[in-house]
Amino acid sequence: MDRTLKALSLILSYPTRELQQAMPEIGGVLAADTRLTAAARRALRPLVEELSGRDIYDLEEQFVMLFDRSRTLSLNLFEHVHGESRDRGGAMVSLLETYRDGGFEPVTSELPDHLPVLLEFLATRSHSEAQETLADAAHIFEALSARLARRESPYAAVFAALLQLSGAKADKEAVAELLDQPEVDPNDLEALDAVWEESEVRFGPDPNAGCPQVRDMLTRMDQPINPDPRVAAE
Amino acid sequence: MSHLLDRLNFLSSKELDRFSDGHGQTTRENRDWEDTYRNRWRHDKIVRSTHGVNCTGSCSWKIYVKSGIVTWETQQTDYPRTRPDLPNHEPRGCARGASYSWYLYSANRVKNPLIRGRLLKVWRRMRETMSPIAAWTAIQNDPVLRNGYVETRGKGGFVRASWDEATEITAAANAYTAKTYGPDRVFGFSPIPAMSMISYAAGSRYLSLLGGVCMSFYDWYCDLPPASPMTWGEQTDVPESADWYNAGYLLLWGSNVPQTRTPDAHFYTEARYRGTKSAVICPDYSEAAKFGDVWLNAKQGTDAALAMAFGHVILREFHLDRQSEYFTDYCRKYSDFPMLVRIEEKDGQLVPGRFLRADDLTGKLGEKNNPEWKTVAWDRTSGGLVSPNGAIGYRWGEAGKWNLETRAAEADTDLSMSFVLEEDHDDVVGIDFPYFGADATETFSTGDKRPNILTKNVPVKKIKIGRKTEMVATVFDLFCANYGLDRGLGGDWVATKYSDDVPGTPTWAEKITGVSADKIAHVARDFALNAEKTNGKSMIIIGAAMNHWYHMDMNYRGVINMLVMCGCVGQSGGGWAHYVGQEKLRPQTGWLPLAFALDWGRPPRHMNSTSAWYAHTDQWRYETLTAGEILSPTAPEGDWDVSMIDYNIRAERMGWLPSAPQLKTNPLEVAKAAKAAGKEIPAYVAEQLKSGELEMSCEDPDAPENWPRNLFVWRSNLLGSSGKGHEYFLKHLLGTDHGVMGKDLGEEGGQLPKEAKWHSDAPRGKLDLLVTIDFRMSTTAVYSDIVLPTASWYEKNDLNTSDMHPFIHPLQAAVDPAYESKSDWEIFKAIARKFQEVAPEILGKETDIVALPILHDTPGELAQDQVKDWKKGECDLIPGKTAPNYIPVERDYPALYDRFVALGPLMDKLGNGGKGISWKTDHEVQHLRDLNGVWEDGPAKGCAKIVTDIDATEVVLMLAPETNGEVAVKAWEALSAITGREHAHLALPKEDEKIRFRDIAAQPRKIISSPTWSGLESEKVCYNAGYTNVHELIPWRTLTGRQQLYQDHLWMRAFGEGFMSYRPPVDLKTITKDVQDAGDSLVLNFITPHQKWGIHSTYSDNLLMLTLNRGGPVVWLSEVDAKSVGIVDNDWIELYNVNGALTARAVVSQRIKEGTTFMYHAQEKIVNTPGSEKTGNRGGIHNSVTRAVLKPTHMIGGYAQQSYGFNYYGTVGSNRDEFVVVRKMKNVDWLDEEATGKEA
Repeated sequence: MDRTLKALSLILSYPTRELQQAMPEIGGVLAADTRLTAAARRALRPLVEELSGRDIYDLEEQFVMLFDRSRTLSLNLFEHVHGESRDRGGAMVSLLETYRDGGFEPVTSELPDHLPVLLEFLATRSHSEAQETLADAAHIFEALSARLARRESPYAAVFAALLQLSGAKADKEAVAELLDQPEVDPNDLEALDAVWEESEVRFGPDPNAGCPQVRDMLTRMDQPINPDPRVAAE
Repeated sequence: MSHLLDRLNFLSSKELDRFSDGHGQTTRENRDWEDTYRNRWRHDKIVRSTHGVNCTGSCSWKIYVKSGIVTWETQQTDYPRTRPDLPNHEPRGCARGASYSWYLYSANRVKNPLIRGRLLKVWRRMRETMSPIAAWTAIQNDPVLRNGYVETRGKGGFVRASWDEATEITAAANAYTAKTYGPDRVFGFSPIPAMSMISYAAGSRYLSLLGGVCMSFYDWYCDLPPASPMTWGEQTDVPESADWYNAGYLLLWGSNVPQTRTPDAHFYTEARYRGTKSAVICPDYSEAAKFGDVWLNAKQGTDAALAMAFGHVILREFHLDRQSEYFTDYCRKYSDFPMLVRIEEKDGQLVPGRFLRADDLTGKLGEKNNPEWKTVAWDRTSGGLVSPNGAIGYRWGEAGKWNLETRAAEADTDLSMSFVLEEDHDDVVGIDFPYFGADATETFSTGDKRPNILTKNVPVKKIKIGRKTEMVATVFDLFCANYGLDRGLGGDWVATKYSDDVPGTPTWAEKITGVSADKIAHVARDFALNAEKTNGKSMIIIGAAMNHWYHMDMNYRGVINMLVMCGCVGQSGGGWAHYVGQEKLRPQTGWLPLAFALDWGRPPRHMNSTSAWYAHTDQWRYETLTAGEILSPTAPEGDWDVSMIDYNIRAERMGWLPSAPQLKTNPLEVAKAAKAAGKEIPAYVAEQLKSGELEMSCEDPDAPENWPRNLFVWRSNLLGSSGKGHEYFLKHLLGTDHGVMGKDLGEEGGQLPKEAKWHSDAPRGKLDLLVTIDFRMSTTAVYSDIVLPTASWYEKNDLNTSDMHPFIHPLQAAVDPAYESKSDWEIFKAIARKFQEVAPEILGKETDIVALPILHDTPGELAQDQVKDWKKGECDLIPGKTAPNYIPVERDYPALYDRFVALGPLMDKLGNGGKGISWKTDHEVQHLRDLNGVWEDGPAKGCAKIVTDIDATEVVLMLAPETNGEVAVKAWEALSAITGREHAHLALPKEDEKIRFRDIAAQPRKIISSPTWSGLESEKVCYNAGYTNVHELIPWRTLTGRQQLYQDHLWMRAFGEGFMSYRPPVDLKTITKDVQDAGDSLVLNFITPHQKWGIHSTYSDNLLMLTLNRGGPVVWLSEVDAKSVGIVDNDWIELYNVNGALTARAVVSQRIKEGTTFMYHAQEKIVNTPGSEKTGNRGGIHNSVTRAVLKPTHMIGGYAQQSYGFNYYGTVGSNRDEFVVVRKMKNVDWLDEEATGKEA
């Protein structure tokens, strides 16, 4: 079993006293994996220390606030891929079938796309398969890492580590798209105002001042898909 | 994948099998690519369910499930067919509903039981050494520990907990509260059972077995139109939407059908294709406005003036100058127009008084039974006074004459509607009518300087009452005078022409409403003409907007008057369509025993929420409206100068309204004391109340003994969408940060209440425990101590009906509840089981005393034909007659769970019934034993099981006449005994039909006609309210037995509402000099309609809705108003008044009428809400700037149709008379640091 992935699955789970007691061992596994850069391993240390040392109620409150209550930090990966689109159900079904093909049956109340569930599954797979799957989610890891870093949360390091393990570079555009999405977290509202500001709608004779959606549509219509036959004939 | 590698390009195998004469060939190529197509729309099953939101749509959906996961949903299309010529019901379901399946897996869901971290920490510490009860007691007795979690409500700090722990805390708190203060300190609030009957019943059954309080919703939401019970003795009954198609004229008044009734809107469109005319009345250019042939943009809050002018035209053209035969005939039979009213003298002036009763006359017209409840009319056949059949006195204590046959005392009659002819009257006298038009505040004022009493000439007859000669007039003659119609009798304040500026005319209304007199006359004429030609097929679809004003009764009665004058009520295609917040629970009488545990103990504790919240959130301490401002200048002598809470206390004392809590002393202790004294409980309580040893809780709501201590909120977002006076809830009930800016009456030096005890320091944080059961983190959940994750609508089995269509259909568990959630039924079962485990430490079998107000549809409704207060010594305290009844109810706390899951013995013993009729139901109970199984031993030995939610649905379906034909026949026969007419033919063809849960899972089923409702389900007509009254001659359940347009109760007359008139919005004085900052000049009337981008009022916080709207709270303004203070579209603005402040984006639009601002209701403060500059706290919700204000006329009780019923009558939470200051925000502060420091 890939003990690093398993360790990351554990520290992203809801904190319990059992987890607190196991933290020295988990910290040891993470500190020893050379697939992670020294900097990444160092970055994980504050979280390891916090999880082993801090009051359990504080840890739990923090976890609920971050991962249960803030949808932009949801540990359900498809929240970030499909959001509330109807594709989400289908995607979860395929993931479930992947687990089953791999010889496992989920026995949790969490949904299949819950990250700790996926990480545990990947811990049992070959290195290359795990890496391939993680690479698919690289942009999510990058975005979550950025969001958590913005909140100065030590959990940011977990996602940075996952990104390294994936061996992939996150697609910049995809990350930007995710980070572009409105944050509705009660604790990080600064960027909100700009995010959902719409341009003013004006109706009038000047088409350039019209509704932006219409303006864009008109611009697209202005660009001929096929060249103008008269122009082509010349 | 290209499959290039798998495919042979150049070779063909010789080994392939051929079959079917070479047409078929076996290949060995890879065919995996086909799976893409096979899987694309693959699903394991399709399950029928619906969205149990508080939306009256009630649309059936197909839910597609694959590997235990919901993949998509589509609209069901299998509603039973309607008749030829009538469009089908399908498709039903809107885009907003469709967005729900995405919510199922949303990150917004509550996944685990959550508990406030600080509470759980001390709980676990206590539990190390103590029992659950002792642990809760210790926490409550230590103010530091209690405040530790109370003060952090709404500030985050949740941790996950196990179900075991969460239910244990809840059960321990409930048991402690029952023992320490009384079970009636445990409150539960859940609205609109029809949307998911079993989920509602789960909580109310638990509460009822405990002796807790089930709180009403319909009145609190202000969706209950008190005008309906006043006029018809009926909560609300309306036509199904298909009946719009039968209308010849559709008037949409304050209703926005295409926006808020989307699945039904097609009937409106289809009616337009059929040629139906339509007028739309609303102040803004709403989505409905475009459907109208004419749009009347009446100024908000002035609808009654418009209605009065419509009525004026109808009376003039169809009842006076020319008499429509159909209208006259209808009104004589089905309205109180012919009934006689005594003319009373006050200070030398004459005013309309009480209805003349048989009891007033010598010989009582031969009536021995209830003569004081039998109204009297003039009969032209016999040339004398008669007591026509059907008055409420005939309903109780005798049989066979409670009907609308045109008979009296076994003889045919021809009642006189008017004495206007010279030969019919003895005199013409000037009678005083109150006039309120000149009371308007600045915004609504037209400069009207008319006096507040208008004296108008009315023809009267003189009759002997006792030894005196008195004058009587018909309701119709008074009614015409009230509408300002000149009938050639001379005198002032009546008009001959529409152009006369006299109260009631179109010209007068034009000044108030802004709608031109021509248009008013035109619409009224078209409306009535159509009704005359079609025998009543003119319909008014009316929206909640009209009902949310303080004087909503005037708006509604104005509309109802039009319909009655035109003979529209009870006719297919006609009548009154108020589709607001009720969502008809069709199998009601089957559901009641399950929901309120009537199978184990009766009565349950019901409470009218408006009065309860008004008292317990201390909104009464800030009351600005005095009785003097709304009292009629013609009011009879009386002690009227008291505050609103005093009126409510009087109403509770006289048994008119319910109380919660009931007595200051724990009722379990009172019962013990009564037993020790060797006295019967009612007599003991009466004696102790009279001596002052016992006090009613209502007289001192701020005393700690009288606080509600535990509150359950389920299926509701009480604090997020329906909590009028939101900030007062936060301040006093919850005890956390709040935005109340006004001072209370003590600090202001205002007039203090006379009856309610005043404490100079108001309590903060009355609740010990707030438990919210929801599937998402709503505003209420955020403020709770415990949040329990519930199953959503594709995860549980339940029943759903609506007033919009005649079908019953299910919610079904397409998948298991996600994460750790459970269905409401399982949650309350778990709490009940835990309660049974922990409570025996302090509670055993106990006797509880339930205070029961005088109820409508029981013989008790004939309790008080005169208003008398026992406390003032005006009468003796007789429980159930002059005061609430005090009824012992046995509680078996150690067997609470065992009772929860069994159908108790009272169904066999006492039978079942509703709305004044009852029948035996032992046959059905036996069927349930056979169907659900029987408990072999334990406290419920021999009872039918109700273990699963499906078992519970079967109880409802089996016991209800609407879903069990055999019961329907019994119910109609029971009614026949009272009316003396044969009704069973309405259900006989369906006698053998018994609808089971599996039947409705297969297809929605049409319900069976039952006397619980006033419409019919048949193959011939659409469901329409009042149909059986008109066609089966069953009386309306009012004093006169007719549609009652005159209200003669003392308080109705005192407050000037005997007849309908225009009353301008009241002045709530919420913009004071103290609160209004210098330079803030824009003051607007604050209106809260239903939104487009939200699942009705349930939620709007999914990304699709937010994207379609503007991603957060918005407020609409007119261009002119916005410009006046430099607000441009999308600016952040702040709205405030003394009640609080809210922040939102401005939407500047031409469609809004100047002087108003719209905030669509139920936009929550959990999404994109910055801090308010005014309060320094996070901006509030739409209810932050509101405060509930009670109206005394809604408290009337013990008086026929004006008797209490749960969600039927009572005070309502109006909120449209509110004004706010609107200003642009200078700084937008997101308050994004942590709300609370960590615990020291």
